[in-house]
Amino acid sequence: MNSSWLAEVFAVLRKEAVAEMRSRTAIFTAGLFSIMTVVAMSIATYNEKLSPSGYAGVFWVALLFSALIALPRTFTIEEEQGTSDLLRLTARPHAVFWGKAIYNLIQVWLAALALSVLFCAFAHLSISIPWLFAVAMIGSGAALAGAVTLCGALVAQAANRGALAATLALPLLVPLIWLGVAALRVAIGPMGPEFTSGGIQASIGLVCYGIAALAIGPYLFAAVWKNS
Amino acid sequence: MVRVDNLGKRYGSRWLFRGLSFEIESGESLVVLGQNGAGKSTLLKTLAGLVSASEGTVEMPEGDRRLTVAVSAIELSLYPHLSLREHLTLTGALRGCPGREEELLDFIGLTHARDLMTTQISTGMKARLKLAMAIQARPLVLILDEPGAGLDEAGRELVVRVVAEQRTRGCVLLATNDPLERRLASLELQLAS
Repeated sequence: MNSSWLAEVFAVLRKEAVAEMRSRTAIFTAGLFSIMTVVAMSIATYNEKLSPSGYAGVFWVALLFSALIALPRTFTIEEEQGTSDLLRLTARPHAVFWGKAIYNLIQVWLAALALSVLFCAFAHLSISIPWLFAVAMIGSGAALAGAVTLCGALVAQAANRGALAATLALPLLVPLIWLGVAALRVAIGPMGPEFTSGGIQASIGLVCYGIAALAIGPYLFAAVWKNS
Repeated sequence: MVRVDNLGKRYGSRWLFRGLSFEIESGESLVVLGQNGAGKSTLLKTLAGLVSASEGTVEMPEGDRRLTVAVSAIELSLYPHLSLREHLTLTGALRGCPGREEELLDFIGLTHARDLMTTQISTGMKARLKLAMAIQARPLVLILDEPGAGLDEAGRELVVRVVAEQRTRGCVLLATNDPLERRLASLELQLAS
């Protein structure tokens, strides 16, 4: 890692942020989905509280779909608007992957924060172990950003993106959802101290998953990036 | 400087071109000619490394390809939500070379449009910006695909200046059907349709 590499990653990150601030496509799409999920849940469970497992499940559905709507577009939009060749000519694949992955990571963390606030404010969510909830959110964000960025990067250049994305996403996302729901269920609780270690293990698993996806991603991406 | 040996590109069972071998030395300018669909753009993309060859090899100058080889093509798209200056800043940062934003915008005559988004400028202005981005790192090999398309008289003069300047530090590969641009050639390659 050197200053030139960091400057390249920052250039990609800045481009993504500036383009999003001007188009606001992902923010509006993911924001609308998050708000609608909470509104639907509030109406369905008016004056009632869900079980911790119920909250964990619905929260993860909202976070997952917000991520799936917004994140893969960072790569597919380059192919759709024809700017991928410009990047191929000027950038190294690792810098492109990392710039977009960091941008996606920030997006997922912001979505997780917004969903947490919305769920607490409008869906009667109360959190028993706030620090575990925070760790689970950080881990979930890292894992989701890693998995979805990797998926988006690999399928962006494929002719039949939809089918390939579904095929790739299923084995990548199922263990992630399992870990994420397990960690959130304990954090939302209360479930007793004997469950806390399970929640911690699931959160650590999420962080490790995210690190693994982000570590493997650049190498897989570099293999499919250069030549079409 | 550029050595192409037995190069071929096939889509399915159809060969777009095959058995191409040539060398270009520093100071030379190769103009690729051919009818629409003859494979001029694909050949240039293959030389630039944007498309993989079906057979044969391409040798480019040693070094970081982002700095040694540059492309300006009619097909190359720009970011709709970035300004002209931001494009030059981005490509400079990605290549690890100075952005030269003001100098290049002045050179292509678009200083007044520096903060306009690329959705707000004409096709000719986009072509000028692509030229500026291509020469930003002072490459050894400059690949131009239909560089004069959409350009006015002053824009075409700009292409002539860019090609002349490029030949003092490296070589140019240029695909065109324009008789004026054909005059820029020191070598010609005619692709059969």
